[in-house]
Amino acid sequence: MNKFLRDINIITILILGILLGLISLTGDRFYLYISSLFMIYSLYALSYNLLYGYAKLLSFGHGMFFATGAYITGLFTLRIFKDPLIGLLVSIISTIPFALLIGYITLRHTKVYFAILTLALSMFVYAILIKWRDVTGGSDGLVGIPKKGVIVDISSPQLNYLFILIFFVLSSLTLYLFINSSRGLLIKALVNEERLLFTGHNVLVIRLYAFMISGVVAALSGSLYAIFMSVITPDIAYWTFSAEPLIMTLLGGSDYYLGPLLGVAIYVSLTTALARFAEYWMLFLGITMIAIIISFRGGVLGALILIATRLKDKRLKTSK
Amino acid sequence: MNLEAFLTQTLVGLYTGSFYWLLTLGLTLIFGVTRIVNFAHASFFVLGSYLMYTFYIYTNNFILSLFAATITTGLIGVIFEITLIRRVYKIEEMYQLLLTLGIALTLNESQKLIWGTTPKYINMPELISSGVAIGYTNISYYSIAVISISLILFIIIHIVINKTLWGLKIRAVWRDNIMAQALKINPYLIYTTVFFIGIALAGFGGALMIILHPVGPGVGDHLIIYAFIIVVIASLGNITGAYIISLLIGVISSLATWLAPEIDIVIIYLITVIILLLRPGGLFGER
Repeated sequence: MNKFLRDINIITILILGILLGLISLTGDRFYLYISSLFMIYSLYALSYNLLYGYAKLLSFGHGMFFATGAYITGLFTLRIFKDPLIGLLVSIISTIPFALLIGYITLRHTKVYFAILTLALSMFVYAILIKWRDVTGGSDGLVGIPKKGVIVDISSPQLNYLFILIFFVLSSLTLYLFINSSRGLLIKALVNEERLLFTGHNVLVIRLYAFMISGVVAALSGSLYAIFMSVITPDIAYWTFSAEPLIMTLLGGSDYYLGPLLGVAIYVSLTTALARFAEYWMLFLGITMIAIIISFRGGVLGALILIATRLKDKRLKTSK
Repeated sequence: MNLEAFLTQTLVGLYTGSFYWLLTLGLTLIFGVTRIVNFAHASFFVLGSYLMYTFYIYTNNFILSLFAATITTGLIGVIFEITLIRRVYKIEEMYQLLLTLGIALTLNESQKLIWGTTPKYINMPELISSGVAIGYTNISYYSIAVISISLILFIIIHIVINKTLWGLKIRAVWRDNIMAQALKINPYLIYTTVFFIGIALAGFGGALMIILHPVGPGVGDHLIIYAFIIVVIASLGNITGAYIISLLIGVISSLATWLAPEIDIVIIYLITVIILLLRPGGLFGER
């Protein structure tokens, strides 16, 4: 069963990659824009779910990694070396020590204290981004992050799209394989901390590991966002932006690897298809969140799978 | 640095700190008794402001609208407690926090739909301008009143919890829920009452605040961060700690805006991070 599910996840990502690739052939700017946002937010939400769904850590400060990823890429390409690919790699590498530091500070707690600590730290990052005007540009943010660099040139929308697509497919596959590797299994085992302690593993190290990987993937998505948008503002470090992947994960279904993707897909399609709906979107999310927590914590994907298995059972019964 | 400006800034800090206290008092009470960290608390605070605004427009009576706004906010809080929050007392804390986040989102957005996106305020010039002059600056009676009310509330809450029978019941539920039930104390009644008091206090604070500060979308998002920082520094569930830290944070941020405006909010977060590194459980410990 496990093998089967695993195949389905990989196959779904690959099919999704091909479909998204086909969209680039149409060259329609609107579709390219929406699909790019979908992929960037998906990576962000996937990285969040590694913490929330697998390591069972409720973070309210995930935006700080997204923001540092975006700002490091922006600053590096604007000030030091003008190239998006190098900027992206630099931001990923420099997020590793940053995530380890934040993780070391916050992971001494797990539940509510962890949530509030991550919130406070992300607001600290936000305050620095707002106040350190000379470097970060204050509330105006960074403008004109280059797409055309010394090594790669992704200034055409289609190339930029493919750039994001490659990173999206590669990192979502890698993250999936990581979760199913022996290290990933240890992270999954955090569900029951006591039992894990008895196996002789250091729980803090495992949590730190999950925190770091999650931070790096979030930084990658932030970096892609910075290159894609060319403009970034400190809003992406404010705590409400940290709550977004959480809500999408809950909406899609946190028990499944691809759940967050479904949540993001619902978000992107609903807000763009019904432009007027965007105004009421947060209200809709709030009510949905209450409903999900009160009644069914599996999210949309959980509900779909439940319905599918019920139908299957019925068919088996009738065929007998 | 001149003394007069220092005193004025300190007073302004105490004034802002008093609002933080009205916010964190309910948060602390609710956490202490029900073990729920109420993410929606600042949204109820802002709801109090909006209700005050509406009541004041219709009645034109300050005291009456203050009273009505406080009670209405408390009752709306109770509705949420009975219909939604009551269901999650016994499940994982993570879901409790998420549920109250959902309530916060719902409340914030409904407020946007009802009262619009432009900031609202009540213009009461006689209340704001009348006051005593210290040197060149004018200290309004209103800010002094707010500071005194917060102190009186602190004393009242202390007496109610430590000296009355009802306070004893609350402490019993607070310490050992199951034992309290064995003594025929109905915890759900206590929970609902505490929720009413906590949320009503938040509404009261919000209603007082709208006199000097316009209230609009995003105010709650900002306030809840301060409230969380204060309760975490003071240790979750510690009422005395919450009072002291509320006033301290108010004064520090007010002095920081005056002395070092380029890094004022950074200072607050930096202090928070340092304190939590040194004392992960907060400064006071849970009572």
